[in-house]
Amino acid sequence: MPLCVFVLICLACFFGPAIFGLPGPESSNLTHTMEPPFSPGHLLGTDSLGYDELSRILYGGRVSLEVGFGSVLLGLVLGGTIGITAGYRRGVVDVVLMRLLDMLSAFPVLALALTLSVFLGPNIRNEILAITAYTLLAYARLARAETLKVRDQNYVTAAEHAGRTGPAIVLRHFLPNIGPQLISFGLLTLGAAIVVEAGMSFLGAGVPPPAPSWGNLIAAGEGVISTDQWLVILPSAFLVLTVLSANLVGDALRARWGET
Amino acid sequence: MNSVGAAKFIGARIAQAIPVLIGVSFITFCLLSVLPGDAATSLLGSGATPQAVKILSAQLGLNQPFFQRYWHWLSQAAQGHLGVSLSTGQPVASFIGQRAPVTIELVVLALFIALFFAIPLATLSAYRPHGIADRFSAFVCMVGLSLPSFVTALILILLFAVKWKLFPASGYTSLGGGIAKNLQSMALPSITLAVTLFALWTRVLRNDLFDQQRQQYVLTARAKGRRPWGALTRHALRNSGFGVMTLVGVNVGAAIGNALLVETVFGLPGIGQGLVQAITTRDVPVLEGCLLTCAVAVIGMNLLTDVLYAILDPRIRLGGADG
Repeated sequence: MPLCVFVLICLACFFGPAIFGLPGPESSNLTHTMEPPFSPGHLLGTDSLGYDELSRILYGGRVSLEVGFGSVLLGLVLGGTIGITAGYRRGVVDVVLMRLLDMLSAFPVLALALTLSVFLGPNIRNEILAITAYTLLAYARLARAETLKVRDQNYVTAAEHAGRTGPAIVLRHFLPNIGPQLISFGLLTLGAAIVVEAGMSFLGAGVPPPAPSWGNLIAAGEGVISTDQWLVILPSAFLVLTVLSANLVGDALRARWGET
Repeated sequence: MNSVGAAKFIGARIAQAIPVLIGVSFITFCLLSVLPGDAATSLLGSGATPQAVKILSAQLGLNQPFFQRYWHWLSQAAQGHLGVSLSTGQPVASFIGQRAPVTIELVVLALFIALFFAIPLATLSAYRPHGIADRFSAFVCMVGLSLPSFVTALILILLFAVKWKLFPASGYTSLGGGIAKNLQSMALPSITLAVTLFALWTRVLRNDLFDQQRQQYVLTARAKGRRPWGALTRHALRNSGFGVMTLVGVNVGAAIGNALLVETVFGLPGIGQGLVQAITTRDVPVLEGCLLTCAVAVIGMNLLTDVLYAILDPRIRLGGADG
C-alpha cells in the first residue's frame, strides 16, 4: 500500500504533466490568478501569478525526487566505500576515518547543506552534493557496523586463506551480505534527504524561482496563509505523503531483511 | 576509588573531544575560504573593479597564506574574538551572545515537551506490544517522523494562530517582557520542534522497554510478585532511562538544525535565524561564528551525556578505574 502510493507519486511527477496535458509550470496566465482548487482547467487551482498549481507541484516533485535519489545513491557509494574500508581495515584507518565523520556530524545537517548550496550556487547538482554530506555520514556508519559484523565470519577468513585480496573480498563477500541492509536503509535516508531538500528550498536555497520545488511552493503559500490556505496545504500534503510512504516502505523492508 | 575512576574516564573523554573540536574549527574555516564567492566580491557587488576587490581583500586579510589566516582566526576565536559582521559591523561574539538564550530556551522547552509525552506513550505501548495503544503510537510516530518541521510549524500556525487566534503566528517576547508573554510566544515554536523528537524517542524507548522486559532482572521482579505494570515502570523504565539520556544528547544536534527552520518561520531572533540570514547575505564572519557555536554545542552535549553516564552508571565508573 505505501509502496503503491510512493510509486504513484513518482510516476505522476515524471509522466503526469504529459499525460494530463497540463500547462507548463512556468507558463503564467495573469487573467486566472488565485483560483481555488477544482476550478475548470485547473484541478488544484492557480497561484498569485496564475501558475497552474498541480503542474507546479508535479514539476516540483521531480526536483525533490531527483535530489533525494541522487544524494542517496551518491551517499551509498561514497559512504559505503568509507564504511567498508574502515570496518575491514580497522586500526589507524578506522580511527582516522571515524574521527573525520565525527567532525562532520557535529554540524547541524541543514546548516551545512544550506551553506554548501548557497556558496556553490543553488541548483539541483549542488543540492545533491550538499545533501550527500548527510547521506554519506549515515551510510558510512551503517556500512562500518555491518562490515564489523561479517568480517570475522568463517567464510571471510576462508576466502582470505584462499588468497583473495581486499577488493575481491569486499565485492564477493561483503556486498552480497550487507547489501539488503544498505538498500532498506536507503529508503529511510531518501525520506530524510527529501525533507532536507524541502527545508533548503523553503529557505530559498533550492532551485531558483520561477522553477518550482515543494519547498519554495510552500514558502510562497506561507505568504498568503491567512487567506488562501490551499497553497500551503497542497504542496505540504504531497511532501508529507511522499516522505511518509518512503519511510513506511523502508520500515517494511527492514523488518523483512533483518534488523539494523 | 570510585571518583578517581570517574575522573579518569571523564578526563579521557575530554581529551578525545579536543581533536574533534580543532577539526571542526578547521572544517568551518576551510568551507568558507575554499568555496567560491569570496567576501570581498560579494560585499562590493559583481560590478566592482578588480582593484577595489584587491584593496578590500587586503583590508580583510584575505590575501595572506591559508594556514596563517586559519591560525590567526583560531587564536582569536579561542579568546572569544570572532570578528565583526560584514553587514552590520556588530561583533560576532555579542551577536551570538544576544541570540543564544532564545535558541537555548527553544531547545530546552522542546526537549521537555517531547519527553513529557514520549515516556508515557512508550510505556503504554510496551505494556501490551502489538496492542491497540502500540499500533496507534507506531502510526503517530511514523507520521511525526515524516513531518518536516516547517510543515508542522505551518499547520500549527494555521490552526492556533489563523483559525483560533490563541497564539501569535510570529514574533518573540523576551523573558523580560513577562514570563506568560514569553511562554506564549515560545509555545508553537517549541511544540513544532518537539514533534520530531517526540516521535523518535517514543519509538526508541518503546523498543528498548520491549527488550528490557525480557531481561533477567525484570523476570525476577515478576517472579517475586511484581505486577506487570509495576515491573515495567519501576524496573524496566529505570534502566531504559540511560538509553533516553543518550538519545537526548545525540539529538540535540538535530534539534539545533531544525531550530534553523522553526526560528525562521516563527520569527524568533535565535542563532538559527541568524545563521540563515548570514547565509543569504553571505556574511562570512557571522556564518563562521554561528556554525562554530552549533558544532561546539553539539560536541559539548555529547561530552556531557558521556560524563553523566559515567557518574550514574557504576559499570562505566568502575570500568574506568581498571582501564
